[in-house]
Amino acid sequence: MKLGAYRYWHETVLAALIAALMIGAAVVDPRFVSWKTQIALSSHVWELALLAVPMTAIIITAGIDLSVGSAMALSAVVLGLAYQAGANAWLAAACGIVAGALCGTFNGLAVAWLRVHPLIVTLATLAAFRGVAEGISLGRPISGFPASFTVLGLGTIAGVPIAGVIVALIATAAGLALARTPSGLSLYAIGHNPAASRFSGLPVARLTVALYALSGTCAGLAAAIYVARRNTAKADLGTGLELDVITAVVLGGTSIFGGSGRIIGTVLGVLAIHETREFVGWHWEHEELNAIVVGVLLIAAVLLNRLFTRPTR
Amino acid sequence: MRHLAVILAVLTLAASAAAVAAEAGAQITVALLPKKKGVAYFTSCAAGAEQAAKELGNVTLIYDGPTDGSPEKAAALIEKWTLKGVDVIAVSPNDPEVLAPAMQAAMAKGVKVITWDADGAASSRSFFVNQATGTQIGEAMVDAMAKDLGTPAGKVAIVTATLTAANQNAWIAAMKAHLASAYPKMELVAIKPCNEDQKVAFQVAQDLMKAYPDLVGIFGISSVAFPGAAEAVKQAGRSGQVLVTGLATPNAMKGYVKDGTVKSVVLWNTRDLGYLTVRVARALADGVLIPGATSFAAGSLGSKPVAGDAILLNNLLVFTKANIDQFDF
Repeated sequence: MKLGAYRYWHETVLAALIAALMIGAAVVDPRFVSWKTQIALSSHVWELALLAVPMTAIIITAGIDLSVGSAMALSAVVLGLAYQAGANAWLAAACGIVAGALCGTFNGLAVAWLRVHPLIVTLATLAAFRGVAEGISLGRPISGFPASFTVLGLGTIAGVPIAGVIVALIATAAGLALARTPSGLSLYAIGHNPAASRFSGLPVARLTVALYALSGTCAGLAAAIYVARRNTAKADLGTGLELDVITAVVLGGTSIFGGSGRIIGTVLGVLAIHETREFVGWHWEHEELNAIVVGVLLIAAVLLNRLFTRPTR
Repeated sequence: MRHLAVILAVLTLAASAAAVAAEAGAQITVALLPKKKGVAYFTSCAAGAEQAAKELGNVTLIYDGPTDGSPEKAAALIEKWTLKGVDVIAVSPNDPEVLAPAMQAAMAKGVKVITWDADGAASSRSFFVNQATGTQIGEAMVDAMAKDLGTPAGKVAIVTATLTAANQNAWIAAMKAHLASAYPKMELVAIKPCNEDQKVAFQVAQDLMKAYPDLVGIFGISSVAFPGAAEAVKQAGRSGQVLVTGLATPNAMKGYVKDGTVKSVVLWNTRDLGYLTVRVARALADGVLIPGATSFAAGSLGSKPVAGDAILLNNLLVFTKANIDQFDF
């Protein structure tokens, strides 16, 4: 078990896998690995990446948030309705983000104070948020946002997508917060043993509410980016996204039982899913393959994790 | 290691061979995007498209689409094809609003974009390959019912998708007009939605038979409403007394056609729709099809009318006991 002494085995292996994929892709079709192609394809990953960051922290506390896709849809619809009601598109986006934060706060309160298991709470809100989104939008799409707003989803700064810069900043901040701040570190303790954490004086309830509220806020931000990119706000967007997000987090090495995980792993997990999907789609032109490949990838990652890390539970 | 080297060499060769073929000029790549992949209706369209590509000999056809019907995935496919530099993208938009930005971006990059099966925003495509106009579809269903009844008289009702469905509403308008002018003795007594739920369609048809005991016919004007209504009539034991007709794929209706609940099923030839789409794509890439054209030579389909920016397939099929077994989709 000497291998377990090195803490970053999972990340190293994932990075090697991604590198191998990209080298293989470069051989098969050099166009795929070109900067231009990669930048253009990256627009498909920002929402997933953005939601995977708070999901990592939540899963570290042995929680889960299944409602992120639905919260994103509700935020998008609020954004759309606010814009339709005459608000400036940026103000409308702020309304959407507030709606997302409220969704998350609701989840957090139910988990922390009602002591309902997060799986059950967010399974309920997964259905409920989407229902509200469909109800208030009447299922109608809202589009026609100004170009000054769509820049959030399509624009670049010095060749780098604006949405990508936002996601990178948030991921970096979250990574530092998790690894370096007392609140961040206490999330691992909560994941290992919530009762002990509570008795040792950690503000478990407060941290939990804050965490789910952050997840909702990120869903609101993801909604703004999506609406800006597709120029459409609709109640069915983000359907099934929660499963992709959880897959990326688990692939990145975060234990689904809580207590361990890192943002860098999640970033690599997101990257691995994204590049694999895009390359499979690019090369074989069969959408059916995508689901299979991501499933195989997940199982492979779990097996790798078993090989390279000491079982903690 | 040696094996790897061989594999890499072969892959490189294959890649360069593909690159050479693309430079030959005449060869084009056409991407055909269905609303949802893995559905019998679209699979049969793809078979026709495949046939056209084979006939033409200089078209590489890509048929791919979201297996879950997700508009986001459809948009991502359009973006991918634009990056890969395909020549023509033919879209059956599962969500015109979501797909429009990606389609417009493709056009801005010089890709020819057309719609088929269902239309999108006019600004997001150059031509629309339309299976039939709303008037043609509405009239074909009314004519089928009149013929099935023998004497076109009595109370009829419509089970539609939703009350806001644009396609269905256009057909209903055409059906009303055609009933009034050609069959004044047929009386349309009710139009009920089934919200695209077969169980609801079943229930609605049962209610209609109770509310109008002398009902002679039900139109099921979506692929969900039609089998639902037929099942209700069949279970009520009134096959042959209350005739059901409408739009659906033949495979879904074969059982009802054979037991006499349904005499006619109206649909266009889906294979021909795929075939025509690829022919249009080829002509567009060659610059043969230009705005203002009034007809289009569609290979083995002959000449097809062009109305504005829509190429019409104009070939509605009526499936009956006699011919339904020849169709498998």
